[in-house]
Amino acid sequence: MSIKLAKYVKSPTHNPNDENTSIYLVYNDDSTWSVPLTVGNRHYDAILEWVAHGNTIEEAD
Amino acid sequence: MSTLGQKPATQHVSTEKQTITGNGGTSYTLQQSVSQAADIEVFVNNTRQEPTVAYTANGTTLTMTGAVNSSDSFYVIFQGKAIQTAGLPVDAAITASAITASQTITSTGNITTSGTVNTPSINGGQIGGRRNLIINGAMKVAQRGTSFTSQTGDSFVVDRFKLGVTALGTWTTSQSTDAPNGFAYSAKAECTTADASPASSDLLYFYSRFEGQDLQQLKFGTSDAESVSISFYVKCSKTGVFTVNWRNQDAGRSIGSDVTISSADTWEYKTITFVGDTSGAFNNDNGWAANLEFILNGGTNYTSGNTLTSYASHSNSNGTRGGGTTLALGANTGETIQFTGVQLEVGSQATPFEHRSFGEELQLCKRYCQQLVTFQSNYESVGGAAGWGFSSTGVLQYIPLDVQMRIEPAISHNDLDVSDDINAAIATTAIAVNANVSSPRVLYINCTVSSGITQYRSYHLRTNDTSDGKLICDAEL
Repeated sequence: MSIKLAKYVKSPTHNPNDENTSIYLVYNDDSTWSVPLTVGNRHYDAILEWVAHGNTIEEAD
Repeated sequence: MSTLGQKPATQHVSTEKQTITGNGGTSYTLQQSVSQAADIEVFVNNTRQEPTVAYTANGTTLTMTGAVNSSDSFYVIFQGKAIQTAGLPVDAAITASAITASQTITSTGNITTSGTVNTPSINGGQIGGRRNLIINGAMKVAQRGTSFTSQTGDSFVVDRFKLGVTALGTWTTSQSTDAPNGFAYSAKAECTTADASPASSDLLYFYSRFEGQDLQQLKFGTSDAESVSISFYVKCSKTGVFTVNWRNQDAGRSIGSDVTISSADTWEYKTITFVGDTSGAFNNDNGWAANLEFILNGGTNYTSGNTLTSYASHSNSNGTRGGGTTLALGANTGETIQFTGVQLEVGSQATPFEHRSFGEELQLCKRYCQQLVTFQSNYESVGGAAGWGFSSTGVLQYIPLDVQMRIEPAISHNDLDVSDDINAAIATTAIAVNANVSSPRVLYINCTVSSGITQYRSYHLRTNDTSDGKLICDAEL
Protein backbone atom coordinates (compact mmCIF):
# COMPACT_ATOMS: atom_id res chain seq x y z
CA MET A 1 0.00 0.00 0.00
CA SER A 2 1.38 3.41 -0.95
CA ILE A 3 2.03 6.17 1.54
CA LYS A 4 0.37 9.53 1.09
CA LEU A 5 1.78 11.36 4.10
CA ALA A 6 4.15 10.78 7.00
CA LYS A 7 4.64 13.38 9.72
CA TYR A 8 6.52 13.28 13.00
CA VAL A 9 4.61 13.77 16.24
CA LYS A 10 6.07 14.92 19.58
CA SER A 11 4.30 13.72 22.68
CA PRO A 12 3.42 16.52 25.13
CA THR A 13 3.89 14.14 28.03
CA HIS A 14 6.73 11.84 29.05
CA ASN A 15 8.96 13.56 26.56
CA PRO A 16 11.52 15.59 28.55
CA ASN A 17 13.81 16.11 25.56
CA ASP A 18 11.02 17.18 23.22
CA GLU A 19 11.80 14.33 20.83
CA ASN A 20 9.77 12.88 18.02
CA THR A 21 7.80 10.06 19.63
CA SER A 22 5.73 8.73 16.72
CA ILE A 23 4.80 9.28 13.10
CA TYR A 24 1.36 10.19 11.83
CA LEU A 25 0.95 8.05 8.73
CA VAL A 26 -1.67 8.25 5.99
CA TYR A 27 -1.85 5.58 3.29
CA ASN A 28 -3.32 6.15 -0.14
CA ASP A 29 -6.56 4.48 0.92
CA ASP A 30 -6.80 7.24 3.57
CA SER A 31 -6.32 4.85 6.46
CA THR A 32 -4.38 6.59 9.23
CA TRP A 33 -1.93 5.20 11.75
CA SER A 34 0.14 6.37 14.67
CA VAL A 35 3.42 4.57 14.22
CA PRO A 36 6.14 4.07 16.85
CA LEU A 37 9.72 4.67 15.76
CA THR A 38 10.47 0.97 16.02
CA VAL A 39 12.31 -0.96 13.34
CA GLY A 40 10.41 -4.17 12.73
CA ASN A 41 7.01 -2.53 12.99
CA ARG A 42 5.75 -3.05 9.45
CA HIS A 43 4.37 0.47 9.17
CA TYR A 44 7.64 2.03 10.32
CA ASP A 45 9.57 -0.24 7.96
CA ALA A 46 7.27 0.90 5.14
CA ILE A 47 8.02 4.51 6.02
CA LEU A 48 11.77 3.85 5.98
CA GLU A 49 11.43 2.24 2.55
CA TRP A 50 9.35 5.19 1.39
CA VAL A 51 12.07 7.56 2.61
CA ALA A 52 14.72 5.46 0.87
CA HIS A 53 12.86 6.14 -2.36
CA GLY A 54 13.39 9.87 -1.91
CA ASN A 55 10.39 10.88 0.18
CA THR A 56 10.53 12.97 3.33
CA ILE A 57 8.83 12.72 6.69
CA GLU A 58 7.34 16.09 7.62
CA GLU A 59 8.57 17.73 10.80
CA ALA A 60 6.34 17.81 13.87
CA ASP A 61 4.25 20.87 14.62
CA MET B 1 -1.86 -60.93 2.92
CA SER B 2 -0.23 -58.08 4.83
CA THR B 3 2.46 -59.17 7.23
CA LEU B 4 4.58 -57.67 9.91
CA GLY B 5 8.24 -58.55 10.12
CA GLN B 6 10.60 -59.80 7.44
CA LYS B 7 8.78 -60.86 4.33
CA PRO B 8 8.93 -64.68 3.88
CA ALA B 9 11.02 -65.94 0.98
CA THR B 10 8.33 -68.49 0.04
CA GLN B 11 4.74 -69.13 0.84
CA HIS B 12 3.88 -70.79 4.11
CA VAL B 13 3.77 -74.60 3.97
CA SER B 14 1.88 -76.60 6.50
CA THR B 15 3.49 -79.32 8.58
CA GLU B 16 3.81 -82.48 6.49
CA LYS B 17 3.68 -86.20 7.14
CA GLN B 18 5.81 -88.82 5.37
CA THR B 19 4.78 -92.45 5.61
CA ILE B 20 7.71 -94.80 5.30
CA THR B 21 7.69 -98.54 4.65
CA GLY B 22 10.13 -100.32 6.92
CA ASN B 23 12.83 -102.31 5.14
CA GLY B 24 13.97 -104.32 8.16
CA GLY B 25 16.94 -102.01 8.51
CA THR B 26 17.77 -98.69 10.21
CA SER B 27 18.54 -96.28 7.34
CA TYR B 28 15.84 -94.37 5.51
CA THR B 29 15.50 -91.38 3.23
CA LEU B 30 13.43 -88.37 4.18
CA GLN B 31 11.45 -86.52 1.52
CA GLN B 32 12.53 -83.25 3.05
CA SER B 33 15.92 -82.18 4.30
CA VAL B 34 16.15 -81.39 8.02
CA SER B 35 18.81 -79.91 10.26
CA GLN B 36 18.54 -82.15 13.27
CA ALA B 37 16.58 -84.93 14.91
CA ALA B 38 14.32 -82.49 16.73
CA ASP B 39 13.03 -81.14 13.42
CA ILE B 40 10.91 -84.23 12.97
CA GLU B 41 8.66 -86.44 15.02
CA VAL B 42 9.18 -90.12 14.28
CA PHE B 43 6.40 -92.59 15.13
CA VAL B 44 6.69 -96.39 15.07
CA ASN B 45 3.40 -98.15 15.63
CA ASN B 46 2.00 -94.80 16.77
CA THR B 47 4.60 -94.47 19.48
CA ARG B 48 6.73 -91.38 19.31
CA GLN B 49 10.45 -92.03 19.29
CA GLU B 50 12.89 -90.01 21.34
CA PRO B 51 15.11 -87.75 19.20
CA THR B 52 18.85 -88.52 19.18
CA VAL B 53 18.17 -91.66 21.25
CA ALA B 54 15.80 -93.67 19.06
CA TYR B 55 16.87 -91.92 15.89
CA THR B 56 19.08 -89.27 14.40
CA ALA B 57 18.46 -87.13 11.36
CA ASN B 58 20.64 -84.98 9.16
CA GLY B 59 19.74 -83.74 5.73
CA THR B 60 17.53 -86.38 4.12
CA THR B 61 19.06 -89.23 6.10
CA LEU B 62 17.04 -90.78 8.91
CA THR B 63 18.90 -93.35 10.98
CA MET B 64 16.90 -95.48 13.42
CA THR B 65 18.59 -97.05 16.42
CA GLY B 66 16.51 -100.18 15.94
CA ALA B 67 15.34 -101.90 12.75
CA VAL B 68 11.87 -101.18 11.42
CA ASN B 69 9.91 -103.83 9.60
CA SER B 70 7.43 -103.44 6.77
CA SER B 71 4.62 -104.55 9.04
CA ASP B 72 5.28 -101.65 11.40
CA SER B 73 3.35 -98.45 11.17
CA PHE B 74 6.17 -96.03 10.48
CA TYR B 75 5.78 -92.35 9.71
CA VAL B 76 7.48 -88.98 10.18
CA ILE B 77 5.95 -85.59 10.97
CA PHE B 78 8.07 -82.65 9.87
CA GLN B 79 8.05 -80.03 12.61
CA GLY B 80 9.69 -77.38 10.53
CA LYS B 81 11.03 -77.80 7.09
CA ALA B 82 14.75 -77.55 6.98
CA ILE B 83 14.59 -75.23 4.00
CA GLN B 84 13.77 -72.65 6.70
CA THR B 85 11.46 -70.52 4.56
CA ALA B 86 8.23 -70.83 6.41
CA GLY B 87 5.84 -67.97 5.86
CA LEU B 88 3.31 -66.62 8.29
CA PRO B 89 -0.03 -68.37 8.48
CA VAL B 90 -3.07 -66.44 7.46
CA ASP B 91 -4.76 -64.55 10.33
CA ALA B 92 -2.18 -65.71 12.83
CA ALA B 93 -1.26 -63.36 15.64
CA ILE B 94 2.02 -61.56 15.23
CA THR B 95 4.08 -61.52 18.35
CA ALA B 96 6.56 -58.89 19.39
CA SER B 97 9.38 -61.29 18.71
CA ALA B 98 8.41 -61.31 15.05
CA ILE B 99 9.40 -57.66 14.73
CA THR B 100 13.02 -56.76 15.08
CA ALA B 101 14.17 -53.34 16.15
CA SER B 102 15.41 -52.22 12.79
CA GLN B 103 12.50 -53.25 10.62
CA THR B 104 10.26 -50.84 8.75
CA ILE B 105 6.58 -51.67 8.71
CA THR B 106 4.57 -50.56 5.74
CA SER B 107 0.89 -51.17 5.37
CA THR B 108 -1.98 -49.61 3.48
CA GLY B 109 -4.39 -51.02 6.02
CA ASN B 110 -5.22 -49.91 9.51
CA ILE B 111 -3.42 -50.78 12.70
CA THR B 112 -5.75 -51.23 15.63
CA THR B 113 -4.76 -51.79 19.20
CA SER B 114 -6.54 -51.76 22.51
CA GLY B 115 -3.19 -51.34 24.21
CA THR B 116 -0.79 -48.43 24.44
CA VAL B 117 1.24 -47.15 21.53
CA ASN B 118 4.70 -46.23 22.71
CA THR B 119 6.55 -44.11 20.19
CA PRO B 120 8.75 -41.04 20.35
CA SER B 121 7.38 -39.48 17.17
CA ILE B 122 4.57 -39.46 14.64
CA ASN B 123 5.28 -38.45 11.04
CA GLY B 124 8.80 -37.53 12.08
CA GLY B 125 7.48 -34.77 14.31
CA GLN B 126 5.83 -34.26 17.64
CA ILE B 127 3.07 -36.64 18.63
CA GLY B 128 0.28 -34.16 19.14
CA GLY B 129 -0.73 -30.73 20.26
CA ARG B 130 0.14 -27.61 18.32
CA ARG B 131 1.12 -29.55 15.24
CA ASN B 132 -0.14 -26.75 13.06
CA LEU B 133 2.37 -23.93 12.83
CA ILE B 134 -0.23 -21.80 11.06
CA ILE B 135 -2.28 -19.43 13.21
CA ASN B 136 -5.95 -19.01 12.30
CA GLY B 137 -5.79 -21.67 9.59
CA ALA B 138 -9.55 -22.21 9.87
CA MET B 139 -10.10 -18.50 9.22
CA LYS B 140 -12.14 -18.09 12.42
CA VAL B 141 -10.69 -14.80 13.61
CA ALA B 142 -11.32 -11.57 11.69
CA GLN B 143 -10.61 -8.74 14.13
CA ARG B 144 -10.24 -6.07 11.45
CA GLY B 145 -13.60 -6.82 9.87
CA THR B 146 -15.36 -9.47 7.81
CA SER B 147 -15.56 -7.79 4.42
CA PHE B 148 -13.44 -5.27 2.56
CA THR B 149 -14.22 -3.78 -0.82
CA SER B 150 -12.02 -2.14 -3.44
CA GLN B 151 -8.78 -3.82 -2.37
CA THR B 152 -5.90 -2.93 -4.67
CA GLY B 153 -2.95 -3.49 -2.34
CA ASP B 154 -1.83 -5.96 0.31
CA SER B 155 -4.57 -6.30 2.91
CA PHE B 156 -5.71 -8.72 5.56
CA VAL B 157 -8.63 -10.95 4.63
CA VAL B 158 -8.78 -12.47 8.11
CA ASP B 159 -6.22 -12.40 10.90
CA ARG B 160 -2.78 -13.61 9.81
CA PHE B 161 -3.79 -14.10 6.16
CA LYS B 162 -3.36 -11.44 3.51
CA LEU B 163 -4.27 -11.06 -0.11
CA GLY B 164 -1.30 -9.45 -1.79
CA VAL B 165 -2.25 -7.34 -4.78
CA THR B 166 0.26 -5.48 -6.91
CA ALA B 167 -1.60 -3.74 -9.73
CA LEU B 168 -3.57 -6.86 -10.54
CA GLY B 169 -7.25 -6.03 -10.43
CA THR B 170 -9.54 -4.86 -7.69
CA TRP B 171 -10.86 -7.26 -5.10
CA THR B 172 -13.48 -7.71 -2.45
CA THR B 173 -12.15 -9.86 0.36
CA SER B 174 -14.20 -11.44 3.10
CA GLN B 175 -14.50 -14.00 5.84
CA SER B 176 -16.99 -16.28 4.09
CA THR B 177 -19.30 -18.77 5.78
CA ASP B 178 -18.98 -21.05 2.76
CA ALA B 179 -16.60 -23.78 3.89
CA PRO B 180 -16.08 -27.54 3.58
CA ASN B 181 -17.67 -29.84 6.14
CA GLY B 182 -16.07 -29.39 9.53
CA PHE B 183 -15.19 -25.76 8.96
CA ALA B 184 -17.29 -22.66 9.57
CA TYR B 185 -15.32 -20.09 7.59
CA SER B 186 -13.07 -19.54 4.65
CA ALA B 187 -11.04 -16.57 3.44
CA LYS B 188 -12.46 -15.39 0.14
CA ALA B 189 -11.32 -13.02 -2.59
CA GLU B 190 -13.57 -11.93 -5.44
CA CYS B 191 -12.42 -9.96 -8.44
CA THR B 192 -14.44 -6.81 -9.06
CA THR B 193 -12.16 -5.25 -11.67
CA ALA B 194 -10.36 -7.67 -13.93
CA ASP B 195 -6.84 -7.57 -15.32
CA ALA B 196 -6.48 -10.01 -18.20
CA SER B 197 -3.01 -8.80 -19.18
CA PRO B 198 -0.87 -8.28 -16.08
CA ALA B 199 2.25 -6.20 -16.51
CA SER B 200 5.54 -7.95 -15.76
CA SER B 201 5.72 -6.84 -12.12
CA ASP B 202 2.04 -7.39 -11.27
CA LEU B 203 1.25 -10.01 -8.67
CA LEU B 204 -1.68 -11.60 -6.89
CA TYR B 205 -1.09 -13.97 -4.01
CA PHE B 206 -2.52 -15.20 -0.71
CA TYR B 207 -0.12 -15.65 2.17
CA SER B 208 0.71 -15.91 5.86
CA ARG B 209 3.98 -15.02 7.54
CA PHE B 210 6.00 -16.60 10.35
CA GLU B 211 8.37 -15.43 13.05
CA GLY B 212 11.78 -17.08 12.97
CA GLN B 213 11.67 -18.03 16.64
CA ASP B 214 8.59 -20.15 15.92
CA LEU B 215 10.36 -22.19 13.23
CA GLN B 216 13.49 -23.32 15.06
CA GLN B 217 12.14 -26.86 15.42
CA LEU B 218 12.44 -27.27 11.65
CA LYS B 219 16.24 -27.31 12.10
CA PHE B 220 16.72 -25.61 8.73
CA GLY B 221 20.32 -24.87 7.98
CA THR B 222 21.48 -28.12 9.59
CA SER B 223 21.92 -31.66 8.35
CA ASP B 224 18.89 -32.60 10.46
CA ALA B 225 16.51 -30.25 8.62
CA GLU B 226 12.95 -31.51 8.91
CA SER B 227 10.44 -32.00 6.15
CA VAL B 228 7.30 -29.90 6.32
CA SER B 229 3.88 -30.89 5.09
CA ILE B 230 1.29 -28.37 4.00
CA SER B 231 -2.40 -29.09 3.60
CA PHE B 232 -5.38 -26.89 2.81
CA TYR B 233 -8.81 -26.70 1.27
CA VAL B 234 -9.28 -24.55 -1.80
CA LYS B 235 -12.31 -23.62 -3.87
CA CYS B 236 -12.01 -21.59 -7.04
CA SER B 237 -14.44 -20.43 -9.68
CA LYS B 238 -12.13 -21.74 -12.40
CA THR B 239 -9.81 -24.67 -12.93
CA GLY B 240 -6.09 -24.27 -13.36
CA VAL B 241 -2.71 -24.48 -11.67
CA PHE B 242 -1.12 -22.26 -9.05
CA THR B 243 2.20 -22.45 -7.25
CA VAL B 244 2.55 -22.89 -3.51
CA ASN B 245 5.83 -21.49 -2.20
CA TRP B 246 7.52 -22.17 1.13
CA ARG B 247 9.67 -19.11 1.28
CA ASN B 248 12.55 -18.65 3.70
CA GLN B 249 12.83 -14.90 3.91
CA ASP B 250 15.83 -14.94 6.23
CA ALA B 251 17.95 -17.02 3.86
CA GLY B 252 16.40 -15.76 0.62
CA ARG B 253 15.56 -19.30 -0.46
CA SER B 254 12.34 -20.96 -1.58
CA ILE B 255 10.89 -24.24 -2.70
CA GLY B 256 7.58 -24.63 -4.50
CA SER B 257 5.02 -27.05 -5.79
CA ASP B 258 2.25 -26.67 -8.31
CA VAL B 259 -1.33 -27.37 -7.27
CA THR B 260 -4.12 -28.13 -9.71
CA ILE B 261 -7.68 -27.01 -9.17
CA SER B 262 -9.48 -29.84 -10.89
CA SER B 263 -13.11 -28.77 -10.57
CA ALA B 264 -14.52 -25.27 -10.53
CA ASP B 265 -16.63 -24.17 -7.57
CA THR B 266 -15.77 -27.31 -5.63
CA TRP B 267 -13.92 -27.64 -2.35
CA GLU B 268 -10.72 -29.66 -2.90
CA TYR B 269 -8.22 -30.87 -0.31
CA LYS B 270 -4.57 -30.50 -1.25
CA THR B 271 -1.38 -31.72 0.40
CA ILE B 272 2.25 -30.92 -0.30
CA THR B 273 5.44 -32.08 1.40
CA PHE B 274 8.70 -30.19 1.14
CA VAL B 275 11.99 -31.64 2.33
CA GLY B 276 13.95 -29.67 4.89
CA ASP B 277 16.51 -27.13 3.78
CA THR B 278 19.96 -27.98 5.06
CA SER B 279 21.38 -24.66 3.91
CA GLY B 280 19.06 -21.88 4.96
CA ALA B 281 18.52 -21.27 8.67
CA PHE B 282 15.76 -19.16 10.20
CA ASN B 283 16.88 -16.38 12.52
CA ASN B 284 15.88 -17.03 16.11
CA ASP B 285 14.03 -13.76 16.61
CA ASN B 286 10.65 -12.08 16.27
CA GLY B 287 11.25 -10.90 12.73
CA TRP B 288 9.66 -12.00 9.49
CA ALA B 289 11.36 -15.30 8.65
CA ALA B 290 9.10 -17.13 6.23
CA ASN B 291 6.05 -17.04 4.00
CA LEU B 292 3.61 -19.72 3.05
CA GLU B 293 2.30 -18.21 -0.16
CA PHE B 294 -0.11 -19.19 -2.90
CA ILE B 295 0.79 -17.45 -6.17
CA LEU B 296 -2.54 -16.98 -7.95
CA ASN B 297 -1.55 -14.74 -10.84
CA GLY B 298 1.31 -12.55 -11.90
CA GLY B 299 3.27 -10.96 -14.67
CA THR B 300 6.29 -12.48 -16.31
CA ASN B 301 8.55 -11.47 -13.42
CA TYR B 302 6.75 -14.10 -11.37
CA THR B 303 5.32 -16.67 -13.78
CA SER B 304 7.66 -16.95 -16.74
CA GLY B 305 10.09 -19.42 -15.18
CA ASN B 306 9.83 -22.78 -13.51
CA THR B 307 8.62 -23.66 -10.06
CA LEU B 308 11.54 -24.20 -7.69
CA THR B 309 11.27 -27.91 -6.93
CA SER B 310 14.39 -27.78 -4.77
CA TYR B 311 15.60 -24.98 -2.52
CA ALA B 312 17.19 -22.13 -4.39
CA SER B 313 17.42 -18.37 -4.17
CA HIS B 314 14.05 -16.82 -4.85
CA SER B 315 13.61 -13.71 -6.89
CA ASN B 316 10.90 -11.34 -7.95
CA SER B 317 12.36 -11.06 -11.41
CA ASN B 318 13.29 -14.48 -12.77
CA GLY B 319 9.88 -16.09 -12.88
CA THR B 320 10.62 -18.67 -10.21
CA ARG B 321 8.26 -17.53 -7.49
CA GLY B 322 5.12 -18.45 -9.45
CA GLY B 323 6.67 -20.38 -12.31
CA GLY B 324 3.90 -22.96 -12.40
CA THR B 325 0.99 -20.56 -12.06
CA THR B 326 -1.33 -20.59 -15.06
CA LEU B 327 -4.56 -20.01 -13.15
CA ALA B 328 -4.67 -16.34 -14.14
CA LEU B 329 -7.10 -15.52 -11.35
CA GLY B 330 -8.57 -12.08 -11.89
CA ALA B 331 -8.58 -12.26 -15.66
CA ASN B 332 -12.35 -11.88 -15.47
CA THR B 333 -14.63 -10.01 -13.13
CA GLY B 334 -16.45 -12.25 -10.72
CA GLU B 335 -13.71 -14.86 -10.38
CA THR B 336 -13.30 -16.08 -6.82
CA ILE B 337 -10.97 -18.16 -4.70
CA GLN B 338 -11.36 -19.40 -1.13
CA PHE B 339 -9.02 -21.06 1.33
CA THR B 340 -9.48 -22.70 4.70
CA GLY B 341 -8.02 -25.49 6.81
CA VAL B 342 -4.49 -24.31 6.09
CA GLN B 343 -1.95 -26.36 8.02
CA LEU B 344 1.84 -26.49 8.02
CA GLU B 345 3.39 -29.20 10.16
CA VAL B 346 6.67 -30.93 10.74
CA GLY B 347 7.06 -34.27 8.97
CA SER B 348 6.54 -35.90 5.64
CA GLN B 349 2.90 -36.82 6.14
CA ALA B 350 0.08 -34.29 6.09
CA THR B 351 -2.39 -35.07 8.85
CA PRO B 352 -5.98 -33.98 9.42
CA PHE B 353 -6.42 -30.32 10.30
CA GLU B 354 -5.73 -29.46 13.93
CA HIS B 355 -8.83 -27.60 15.05
CA ARG B 356 -8.34 -25.13 17.87
CA SER B 357 -11.00 -23.22 19.76
CA PHE B 358 -11.92 -19.69 18.77
CA GLY B 359 -10.52 -18.48 22.08
CA GLU B 360 -7.17 -20.12 21.47
CA GLU B 361 -6.89 -18.79 17.95
CA LEU B 362 -7.91 -15.31 19.08
CA GLN B 363 -5.21 -15.23 21.74
CA LEU B 364 -2.60 -16.36 19.23
CA CYS B 365 -3.76 -13.73 16.75
CA LYS B 366 -3.51 -10.99 19.36
CA ARG B 367 0.27 -11.20 19.31
CA TYR B 368 -0.04 -9.56 15.89
CA CYS B 369 -3.27 -7.57 16.03
CA GLN B 370 -5.54 -6.44 18.85
CA GLN B 371 -8.84 -4.76 18.27
CA LEU B 372 -8.99 -3.16 21.70
CA VAL B 373 -12.45 -1.79 21.21
CA THR B 374 -15.00 -1.92 18.45
CA PHE B 375 -18.47 -0.51 18.31
CA GLN B 376 -20.79 -3.25 19.50
CA SER B 377 -22.87 -1.30 21.96
CA ASN B 378 -23.09 2.33 22.91
CA TYR B 379 -20.15 3.76 24.80
CA GLU B 380 -18.08 0.61 24.99
CA SER B 381 -14.90 1.39 26.88
CA VAL B 382 -11.40 0.36 26.02
CA GLY B 383 -10.80 -2.36 28.54
CA GLY B 384 -8.34 -1.56 31.29
CA ALA B 385 -7.63 1.93 30.04
CA ALA B 386 -6.74 4.44 32.72
CA GLY B 387 -6.10 8.05 31.91
CA TRP B 388 -6.29 11.60 33.09
CA GLY B 389 -6.29 15.08 31.65
CA PHE B 390 -2.96 16.83 31.37
CA SER B 391 -4.25 20.01 29.64
CA SER B 392 -7.52 21.45 28.41
CA THR B 393 -7.08 19.54 25.14
CA GLY B 394 -5.14 16.44 26.14
CA VAL B 395 -5.75 13.15 27.90
CA LEU B 396 -3.08 10.52 28.34
CA GLN B 397 -4.02 6.87 28.58
CA TYR B 398 -2.21 3.75 29.72
CA ILE B 399 -3.75 0.66 28.13
CA PRO B 400 -2.51 -2.78 29.15
CA LEU B 401 -2.56 -5.03 26.11
CA ASP B 402 -4.44 -8.34 26.21
CA VAL B 403 -1.39 -10.29 25.04
CA GLN B 404 2.22 -9.21 24.74
CA MET B 405 2.53 -8.23 21.13
CA ARG B 406 5.33 -9.18 18.76
CA ILE B 407 6.69 -5.66 18.77
CA GLU B 408 5.54 -2.21 19.90
CA PRO B 409 2.35 -1.74 17.90
CA ALA B 410 1.13 1.01 15.62
CA ILE B 411 -2.45 2.11 16.25
CA SER B 412 -5.37 3.11 14.11
CA HIS B 413 -8.59 4.52 15.50
CA ASN B 414 -11.98 5.82 14.57
CA ASP B 415 -14.80 7.61 16.41
CA LEU B 416 -13.47 7.51 19.95
CA ASP B 417 -14.42 9.79 22.83
CA VAL B 418 -12.90 10.49 26.20
CA SER B 419 -15.32 10.63 29.10
CA ASP B 420 -15.28 11.29 32.83
CA ASP B 421 -18.73 9.62 33.07
CA ILE B 422 -20.18 12.80 34.61
CA ASN B 423 -20.08 15.36 31.87
CA ALA B 424 -20.67 14.93 28.16
CA ALA B 425 -18.07 12.86 26.38
CA ILE B 426 -15.59 14.71 24.20
CA ALA B 427 -14.63 13.47 20.76
CA THR B 428 -10.98 12.84 20.08
CA THR B 429 -9.41 14.61 17.13
CA ALA B 430 -6.13 12.72 17.21
CA ILE B 431 -4.56 9.82 19.06
CA ALA B 432 -0.82 9.19 19.02
CA VAL B 433 1.41 6.58 20.61
CA ASN B 434 4.32 7.76 22.71
CA ALA B 435 7.21 5.51 21.78
CA ASN B 436 9.16 6.75 24.82
CA VAL B 437 6.79 4.92 27.12
CA SER B 438 4.88 2.34 25.07
CA SER B 439 6.01 -1.26 24.85
CA PRO B 440 4.71 -4.54 23.42
CA ARG B 441 2.88 -4.98 26.75
CA VAL B 442 1.45 -1.54 27.49
CA LEU B 443 0.16 1.12 25.15
CA TYR B 444 0.73 4.73 26.15
CA ILE B 445 -1.23 7.17 24.03
CA ASN B 446 -2.04 10.86 23.98
CA CYS B 447 -5.60 11.72 23.01
CA THR B 448 -6.20 15.19 21.65
CA VAL B 449 -9.58 16.92 21.80
CA SER B 450 -10.67 20.40 20.79
CA SER B 451 -11.36 21.62 24.37
CA GLY B 452 -13.07 20.84 27.63
CA ILE B 453 -10.65 18.60 29.47
CA THR B 454 -10.11 19.28 33.16
CA GLN B 455 -6.50 18.80 34.19
CA TYR B 456 -5.82 15.87 36.53
CA ARG B 457 -9.38 14.55 36.18
CA SER B 458 -9.71 10.86 35.33
CA TYR B 459 -10.99 9.96 31.88
CA HIS B 460 -11.55 6.75 30.03
CA LEU B 461 -11.51 6.07 26.32
CA ARG B 462 -14.66 4.74 24.68
CA THR B 463 -16.50 4.46 21.40
CA ASN B 464 -19.03 7.13 20.61
CA ASP B 465 -22.60 6.07 20.07
CA THR B 466 -23.04 6.79 16.40
CA SER B 467 -20.77 4.70 14.26
CA ASP B 468 -17.90 2.25 14.06
CA GLY B 469 -15.65 3.40 16.84
CA LYS B 470 -12.54 1.28 17.08
CA LEU B 471 -8.95 1.14 18.25
CA ILE B 472 -6.63 -1.32 16.53
CA CYS B 473 -3.10 -2.21 17.58
CA ASP B 474 -0.97 -3.66 14.79
CA ALA B 475 2.28 -5.56 15.25
CA GLU B 476 1.95 -7.83 12.23
CA LEU B 477 4.84 -9.19 10.23
